[in-house]
Amino acid sequence: MSSISELYDVSWEEMRDKLRKWREENYRNSEQIVDVGEELINEHASKLGDDIWIIYEQVMIAALDCSRDDLAWSCLQELKRQFPDSHRVKRLAGMRLEALERYEDANKLYDSILQDDPTNTAARKRKISILRAQGKSSEAIRELNEYLEHGLSDELTTTTLSCSYAKAAFCLEELMMTNPHNHLYCEQYAEVKYTQGGLENLELARKYFAQALKLNNRNMRALFGLYMSASHIAASPKVSAKVKKDNVKYAAWATSQISRAYQMAGRGKKENKCSVKAVEEMLESMQITMS
Amino acid sequence: MSMGEVELSCLAYAKMYLHASQFPRCSVNGLLLSSSAAGGAVCITDCVPLLHTHLSLAPITQLALTQVDVWCSQTQQRIVGYYQANACASDSSPTPCALKIAEKIFEQCNNAVLLMIDGEKMFPGCRVPPIVMYERKDARWALKDKHTIMLRQWEETCSIVNQLFSSGDQALLVDFDSHLDDITKDWTNQKLNAKIMELVSPANGNV
Repeated sequence: MSSISELYDVSWEEMRDKLRKWREENYRNSEQIVDVGEELINEHASKLGDDIWIIYEQVMIAALDCSRDDLAWSCLQELKRQFPDSHRVKRLAGMRLEALERYEDANKLYDSILQDDPTNTAARKRKISILRAQGKSSEAIRELNEYLEHGLSDELTTTTLSCSYAKAAFCLEELMMTNPHNHLYCEQYAEVKYTQGGLENLELARKYFAQALKLNNRNMRALFGLYMSASHIAASPKVSAKVKKDNVKYAAWATSQISRAYQMAGRGKKENKCSVKAVEEMLESMQITMS
Repeated sequence: MSMGEVELSCLAYAKMYLHASQFPRCSVNGLLLSSSAAGGAVCITDCVPLLHTHLSLAPITQLALTQVDVWCSQTQQRIVGYYQANACASDSSPTPCALKIAEKIFEQCNNAVLLMIDGEKMFPGCRVPPIVMYERKDARWALKDKHTIMLRQWEETCSIVNQLFSSGDQALLVDFDSHLDDITKDWTNQKLNAKIMELVSPANGNV
C-alpha cells in the first residue's frame, strides 16, 4: 500500500494544510481525514509542533466516524497524556464511548464534567445527542429546553449579581443582544431593574417584563413582575395622568391573566387549593389599594 | 417558656433542612411562621420555603412575602422570622439580603428571628442542630444565646428527616420558585406537611 504522499505527490506540509482547511471549514470527510491524518501522525509527528494536538483531536473524531477504534484510542491516549485534567479531552473520551454505544459510561463522564463546570455546554449537548441516539426524543427535547433556559448565562448572572446589580444588568444586556428570543433574560433583566428602583428603572422593568411575556406568555414571573411594576408606576406621584392611566391598564391586564392562570391551575387539584386561594385574595386586596 | 426563648418545631426544621438539601449548590431562603399568639416566647411551628435562585432580586421576594402574608391571615398564622442557607456551606453569616428581609419582618413582629443554616453541620449523625439564630438587639442583629433555642425531641426530629429521605418524600417539597415554574405545585406543602405530621409520634403532640 503506497502512502498518501506517494499516491498524490504531496508533501507533509501540504497534508498538514489540508487538514487545517478541513478543520476550519468544518468538513466531515472522515475517511480522507483518517487517511491523511494517520499518515501525518505516524510519519511526521515530530515536525508538526504544537499543531499535533489539534490534529489528534480531528483525527480521533474522524476515526470514530469510520469505526477505526484503534486509531481513535491511540489519539485519545496521546491527548490524555498531554492534557490529563482537560474537560475537552474528557468530552472526546465520552464521544468514543458513545461510538461504542456505551451510553451509560459516556453519560457518567459528561456528568462529571458538568459537576466541575455546570456551564459546559459541550457536555450538555453530548447528553442530548445520547438521548436522541437512544430514541428518547421527548427526553432529548426536555433536556434541550433545560439547556437553553438554564444555560451558561445562569452562572454568569448569579456571579455578577453577588457583585453588583449594575454589573448584572450589563451582563444581561449583552445576553439579550445575542439571544433576543430568550424570555428568561428579558425577565431577569426586568427583575434587576426593578430591584435597582426609581421611576426610570421601574419603567424599564415594566417594558422588559412585557417583552418577556411577548416571547413566552406563560412566564409567571414576568406576569407578576408586569403587574407589580405597572402598579408602582401608576401609584407614583411623579407620573403624568396619561402614564398613570396606561399603567393602570397594564396592571389590570396582568391581573386578569394571573387570575385566569390560577383558575386553570386550581381546577380539580385539591392539593393546591391553598396556594390558589392565597393568590386570589392577594389580587383582590391589591385591586382595592389601586383604585 | 419565657421571654427571649425560641422554640423550633419538627415540622419547621424538617422542611428547612429538606429545602437546603434539595438545592445544595444554591442559596435558599424562606419564612418562619407561628400559629401561637403574639407575646412571650416565639414558637416557630411551620415554615414556607421561598427561593433558590437570585435571592437578592426584589420583585419575586416582595410577591412571596405578600402571598405568604395573605395565606397566614387565612390560616391564623404569623410570619415570625426568616431563614437562609448560603450556597457556600462554610459561610453561614447573614447576607445583606437576609438582613433586609429580616428587618421588614421585624417591622411587623418585634421578636422576629433570623435563622442561618450552617451548611458545615448538615451531615448525618451530627449531634447539634445546624442552625445559628439572630435576634434584634440595640438596632442590630445579634447572635442569640444557644441556650434560649429549644428544639424538642432533637433525636426524633433527626430520625424523621432520615425517614423522609429514605422514603423519597423529601422530593415532595415545593418552594415558591418551583411554584412559579409550575403553578399547579403547592408552595404551602399540604401533602408534605401531612406526611411529616404522620411521622411525628402522637404522644408528643407539641413537637
